[in-house]
Amino acid sequence: MNDRSLWWRIAWRNLWRNSRRTIITAAALAFGFLSCVVMIGIWYGVIDEMIETGTNLVSGQVQIHAKDYLPERSMHATLGGQGGIEVGTYLDHLETEPYVVAAAPRVYAGGLVSSGEHTVAGIFLGVEPEREARVTRLLASLVEGRLPVPGRRELIMGDEMARTLDVRPGSEIVVVAPAADGSMGNDLYRLTGVLHSGLPTLDGAYVVLPILDLRQLLAMEEGRVHEVALRVSDPWVAPAVAMGAGLMPQGPNGPPIQVRAWTDFRAELAEYARLAFAVNGIVVAIVFGMAIFGVANTLLMSTFERRREFALVRALGTQPRSVAWTVVYESLILGVIALAAGTLITAPVMYWLHEYPIDLSRFTEGFTMAGSAMRPVLRAEYTLDGPVVSAIGLLITSLLAALYPAYRVSRIPPADVLAD
Amino acid sequence: MSEDAVASQNAVPAVRTVNLWKIYPQDPEPVEAIRGVNLQIDSGEFAAMAGPSGSGKTTLLNLLGGLTRPSRGEVWIGGVEIGALADKKLARIRLEEIGFVFQAFNLLPVLSAMENAEFPLLLQGESVSVRRAKVRALFDEIGLQGLESRRPGKLSGGQQQRVAVARAVIADPALVLADEPTANLDSATGAALLDVMERLNQTRGTTFLFSTHDPRVMERARRLIRLVDGAIESDQRR
Repeated sequence: MNDRSLWWRIAWRNLWRNSRRTIITAAALAFGFLSCVVMIGIWYGVIDEMIETGTNLVSGQVQIHAKDYLPERSMHATLGGQGGIEVGTYLDHLETEPYVVAAAPRVYAGGLVSSGEHTVAGIFLGVEPEREARVTRLLASLVEGRLPVPGRRELIMGDEMARTLDVRPGSEIVVVAPAADGSMGNDLYRLTGVLHSGLPTLDGAYVVLPILDLRQLLAMEEGRVHEVALRVSDPWVAPAVAMGAGLMPQGPNGPPIQVRAWTDFRAELAEYARLAFAVNGIVVAIVFGMAIFGVANTLLMSTFERRREFALVRALGTQPRSVAWTVVYESLILGVIALAAGTLITAPVMYWLHEYPIDLSRFTEGFTMAGSAMRPVLRAEYTLDGPVVSAIGLLITSLLAALYPAYRVSRIPPADVLAD
Repeated sequence: MSEDAVASQNAVPAVRTVNLWKIYPQDPEPVEAIRGVNLQIDSGEFAAMAGPSGSGKTTLLNLLGGLTRPSRGEVWIGGVEIGALADKKLARIRLEEIGFVFQAFNLLPVLSAMENAEFPLLLQGESVSVRRAKVRALFDEIGLQGLESRRPGKLSGGQQQRVAVARAVIADPALVLADEPTANLDSATGAALLDVMERLNQTRGTTFLFSTHDPRVMERARRLIRLVDGAIESDQRR
């Protein structure tokens, strides 16, 4: 046992001289740890939900367009078609790329949707239902009726639009849209289903139909698409995937394309997430900032009760610094005990909040946040940041709380205290 | 001890003061606790300081032990004037040159008897085998064998004070200062403790200086210094 191990031993034994006080203080720190980890976990859950619903509802996490498609969204700026890439092959190729889970082609158009006396402006989205279902939850938002079958002039629309047009599944819908050949495409369709996403823009303006039917309405050449949307295994790898050369059709000499990750076309979501990460640090600072004073107070009481012992070891020739260290060691051991206890109580709580999220449906049906439709549940997500940042916060708290008491005991005048 | 060893020890006094003053600033007038004390304790002495309460015994012990700084004058320990030393160096002097036995049983309650006794050796960086061997030998010598692992709370007052004596002498200091070591002990236990210290003085040549009210200590001391109002009134060698 060397000099330092002696002070660790003394610190450890001193902690258990008043075990009740030690347990209460450690419990307070452990509860602080639990609070931070759970708060961060829930916060990450909210962010994940926001990104999930913000990207997986309709936009996808990576979008690929012809180079000149944006920002005008020109109907003629397409991928595929005569002289372009073969879209089916391209989609199959994309799905072999690392992190890419699925790829879906889209065709867009704007036009008018009418039924009876009612007419509204709408955004027409042509999809391949099977592929689309693997990329977004758009088609899973069907709350009434069924999906349209290709070639039967069927479509679905948002519930707000259906309400405005006063239609329901089975109703006839007249669609008018400017076509690629300069004519005005129009046709009679049948509404087969109604969507409800929770996003007013989507529910009030989107009309979804099979991509073949929309191409036909728009007089577009077969094989042309405006957009390929990708789903990736982790939203945060989307920017790297978008930068990768693997998305280029037919290699570097292929037709020029533009690839964007959700962090570009939903930049507000990315900003919000970055803000949330900063908030984590503030949460930890507030929780443990309060704890510092409580722990420091406990250490001050505990060291005051042992002034004679500190004076004695000083009288015996212990350096002031060594006496101070024993208080720091005591506090750090307390911190480690609290961390162990905190981990033990946090693990099941996090498991519970992850597997059985808090249901807020009694208070709200859902809400939008940064343009994302949020479900009314609070799920705590498992993260490394939460426990690591909170553990660092807890140990720093232990260290900072010890500084003033340690300074005090290092200044104890041995003769005066021993004479008391 | 051999005559050579005694002669060698006598070459440098264990402690020496020169015109030592300790003045506490108080209202309405400062208190002169120690007034111009010139004192020399030679190595191997077994000396006692006596005097009524407030005569300055404890203050003088604290000054000799480097626990309090003098207001004026000098304190020399082993050729070093300690009055103006920095805290760090003063702590080193206390560790290497001085042993303390206090009136109350000043052991660390979280350490065992052995750990308390070996404390100075541990601070000096001695290896565990050397420490343990020294403590066991000393415990055998002063009748503490078998009590090594007991905490102070499980020891009698006399046993605790003997552990404190063991701690004071374990590192072979130049001087052991004992502030009323028998004050809290019954007669028999006090006498037994004095036996222990006297034996250590004789067998190891350890220098002891007591402050005391206890007539038994005064009788056993081979030098009796009487303090009155912070000054030496008499200094008798026997």
